[in-house]
Amino acid sequence: MKTKTILVLLAAGALWAVQPVQAHHAFAAEYDQSKPVTLNGIITRMEWANPHGWIYLDTKEGGAVKHWMIETAAPSQLSRHGLKKADFTDGMTAMVKGYQGKTDPGLANGRTLVLKDGRSFYIGSVGGPNDGAEPR
Amino acid sequence: MPSIVPTFEWLEGLAWTTALRESPYGYPLIETSHVACIVIFAGLVIMMDLRLVGLAFTNAPLAQIQRRLFPWQMGAFVPSTATGILLFCVDPLRYYLNVFFLAKLVLLVLAGLNALAFHLKTYRRADRWDEDSQVTALARFAGAASLLLWSATIISSRLIPNNWFK
Amino acid sequence: MLPFFQWCDGLAMSQAYRDSTYLFPLTQALHILAVTVFVGAIVIGDMWLLGWGPVGQSRASIARSAQRVLLWAGLAVLVTGIPQFTTNALTYQRSWLFVLKMYLLAVTLVFTATVRWRVAIAEEGRLPSWVTRAVGAVSLSLWMAVTISGRLITYYG
Repeated sequence: MKTKTILVLLAAGALWAVQPVQAHHAFAAEYDQSKPVTLNGIITRMEWANPHGWIYLDTKEGGAVKHWMIETAAPSQLSRHGLKKADFTDGMTAMVKGYQGKTDPGLANGRTLVLKDGRSFYIGSVGGPNDGAEPR
Repeated sequence: MPSIVPTFEWLEGLAWTTALRESPYGYPLIETSHVACIVIFAGLVIMMDLRLVGLAFTNAPLAQIQRRLFPWQMGAFVPSTATGILLFCVDPLRYYLNVFFLAKLVLLVLAGLNALAFHLKTYRRADRWDEDSQVTALARFAGAASLLLWSATIISSRLIPNNWFK
Repeated sequence: MLPFFQWCDGLAMSQAYRDSTYLFPLTQALHILAVTVFVGAIVIGDMWLLGWGPVGQSRASIARSAQRVLLWAGLAVLVTGIPQFTTNALTYQRSWLFVLKMYLLAVTLVFTATVRWRVAIAEEGRLPSWVTRAVGAVSLSLWMAVTISGRLITYYG
């Protein structure tokens, strides 16, 4: 009985430990891993915010302007990967790679940001797809 | 009826809500505290409910369990609510427009009313809770309702980040 | 260890969870509920160990009741946790906070299943009260540390 208790507790705990990584959002619930996007355009606004940052990017698609809202990691994570709030100015050119939203085609989960000066930053939230974008 | 949106816009524009929204330490601290306190609060409420419906702790007198748990439940509820209010103030419009957040608030109120109703109905008979069959019947109903309402509250909270409805 | 994580990642169940819009969040929501019940049972036991249970109430009977809840809730945590873990196995494997949490959790589980359990069901008066209080305090601290470290992975891990 004791061994069984220990085993169940160990296994339960192990899986409990894992869950909070996904804690406040599940990638699959909102974004489509099979729809990667590469967006080149102008950042009209950047919200440096918890629990997620948001990059508002306008791209030109065949003459028409498309407005994108791109989710990023929290400020603590963005800083960890070298970004600063001051790196963003409204109207700057940038490139973002990410994945399109499942129900909202103007939504994306950002993974990599490349600024005009060529600097590249990882902006993905924890729990995203295992696509190698994360520097390690 | 005047819109509350301008008030929320003003709220999120304040210096302290902005600072919290952008902070690398403050916001994580508050969010983590919110979750930790809720887990303690709701966990203890669920334990009490399990006793009320007779599924666990059946050897312990109802009134005694309630008396001991209550201060801890309140001790966890207060910071849960305080941190919740702070979190709301950081991004009020986002939550106001979120169906799961609104549902969570409604469920919270219902759960609170259920608890209040039970306390009011049985307060005077506190010492005879376990012998009084009317109290045990009330207890079973209140406990079951509470379990349902708090489970629904927790599930609704977990679904807040999902953008399934606009 | 990497092959194990890769195997988890490649399971059909993992892919199903990655493809579905609703499966993951709903499983996750139920998981949180199970965790809440689990922690509730831990806290109520620790309250009794710390001496805040009713006077004269048998600590051992509370401990046994709590253990039944722990096992059922633990089972629910397991069942709802497996698909979440396998779906994102490779991501977790890269997080230092996740690794730290695993070690912390292992220690906490062993402590709970051994020291805490023995102390909880010991006859009243057999152990000095400072021992039971200390065990209660340690248990509470460890479980809260596990909870908190998990939440922090999103921000720092």
